[in-house]
Amino acid sequence: MEFSRRDFMKLVGVSVASLALTRCRVSLPVSCYAPLPPPTPVLSDRDRLRNCWLRFGELASTTGSAYEQGEALRRQLSAEHRTLLDGFVQNWELNEAEANLVQEAYDAALYHVWRSNAPITCYEPVMVDYAPVSAQILVQQAQVLDELSGQGGIDPATLEAARAAIEHDLAFYALSDDEVNQLYERILAEWQSQGGATPAFEQIELEVTPDARHATEFILSLFTQR
Amino acid sequence: MTSRPRIASLIFEVTQRCNHACLHCYNVWQGPQPAGRPYPRGEFDTARTLSLLAKALDECDCPHVTLTGGEPLLRPDLERILDFLQERKVRVTLISNGRLLDDRRVAALVGRGAALFELPLLSHRREMHDELSAAPGAWDAVLKAMTAVRLARGQVVAAFVLTRRNAADLAEALRLAFAFGARGVMINRFNPGGRGRDHLEELLPSVAQVREALATAESASAEYRLPISCSIPIQPCLIDTAAYPHIGFGYCAAGSERAYYALDPLGNLRPCNHSDLILGNLFANSFAELISPEKLSAFTCALPAHCSACERRLECQGGCKAAAQVCSGSLSAEEPFLRQALPAA
Repeated sequence: MEFSRRDFMKLVGVSVASLALTRCRVSLPVSCYAPLPPPTPVLSDRDRLRNCWLRFGELASTTGSAYEQGEALRRQLSAEHRTLLDGFVQNWELNEAEANLVQEAYDAALYHVWRSNAPITCYEPVMVDYAPVSAQILVQQAQVLDELSGQGGIDPATLEAARAAIEHDLAFYALSDDEVNQLYERILAEWQSQGGATPAFEQIELEVTPDARHATEFILSLFTQR
Repeated sequence: MTSRPRIASLIFEVTQRCNHACLHCYNVWQGPQPAGRPYPRGEFDTARTLSLLAKALDECDCPHVTLTGGEPLLRPDLERILDFLQERKVRVTLISNGRLLDDRRVAALVGRGAALFELPLLSHRREMHDELSAAPGAWDAVLKAMTAVRLARGQVVAAFVLTRRNAADLAEALRLAFAFGARGVMINRFNPGGRGRDHLEELLPSVAQVREALATAESASAEYRLPISCSIPIQPCLIDTAAYPHIGFGYCAAGSERAYYALDPLGNLRPCNHSDLILGNLFANSFAELISPEKLSAFTCALPAHCSACERRLECQGGCKAAAQVCSGSLSAEEPFLRQALPAA
């Protein structure tokens, strides 16, 4: 499968945004007593760039309540981020190609957050999410389907297929770790039986170009403050 | 050199043919046509269709295309069109009545990137759905299609067209949509256009019916954690939409980056798929020229006289101007849903 540097960076950006939005971030040490507000810090360019990456929550809430304002904020954040990155290029901390990749990641993250929270409109109704809905929802769906089937209006074959679809999705949540591993083993065995040899992990090409690697490390350093 | 405009989505009407005859159909080529200038009919072959799409996507920055019709599955080259869109890395939504979506076809479409299917669910009752679709068997077919899409790992958004006739069925229809795995529901009040104009009195819901439907939807959205949207504008002077926090409300996006321009099978571009206003043909003009403010201003600036002093006129814009145009011949007229609520002149 072809996987370009730009695609890679987009995935990095979306992944980082998702983690940031779930508050999976390196937290600063806190104490029980914080009686005085800390003095207003002088922000470095790195701090300001980090702040750009910490504003996804704001983008999500703004977009959710006012689509146009969310769009304006997305553009503003993208422009701010680009301007700050240019400073890093001038200071030789990043080269131009690396800065472009960091920007690519950031823009992809902004788009992901914006699109996920934008009010749905006529012909772009919902974001596609390939994961099954939660197990709780699936159980509720099964209950409602049972109630509807008792009313007798729906074609029995269609009802069976609908039940199968729910069970199909539920199966995802019912698997233990061992079962997941067994599933992978079975899939691999099936794949090998069709003539495909499984490569050893070391043989798998996971090549990331030096500039993409550096751009990714740079983004992560913003969060880890290293 | 003209710039490459950015738009959120493009609607491509792949065919004008349809195997249903929905009473509420808004397709602009259906129903009464202006004397001497009926809406152009026809479609190109595969090669020309793909070159039309290529020109559109080359000339605008558009990450999402909705394929609709007519019934898009009546086009035998639909899979070829999807292959092309997948090559262009464009996300695809497919609007269908579900009649032709059997397991094999669904697998072929999902495999080609059609991950989201918008399918009608007009009632929990077979008779009502089939009557509104003017197609016996439509209800059974759409339930089968919903299941087939889900089993193929695609996703369904159910579309409930809220009419005077099926308004009372909404709660049960939402339950059915949820049980069949819909990932969202669009509740679109009947918006007259196309063939729907012939059924205006029969189908146009009252303001009270829409208000009641919104209360039902609000409750169902919370109970089932089901995203529900109303994309056909509901004028806030008629109904306080803020009272329904679980429901998304849309207003006309024409002229903005959120606009969903409609491209017909012959390359004619319109402000949206409810509008019969042809901005021009994409084979004769660039996309940027066709959506220039000069071309669009008649559409975007139109406002009913009733709304001129309203604080929310820029947001609401009086509702659906396309419906006003096709029903009254004027973009600035009150559209039927608004007009019915105003005191008689």
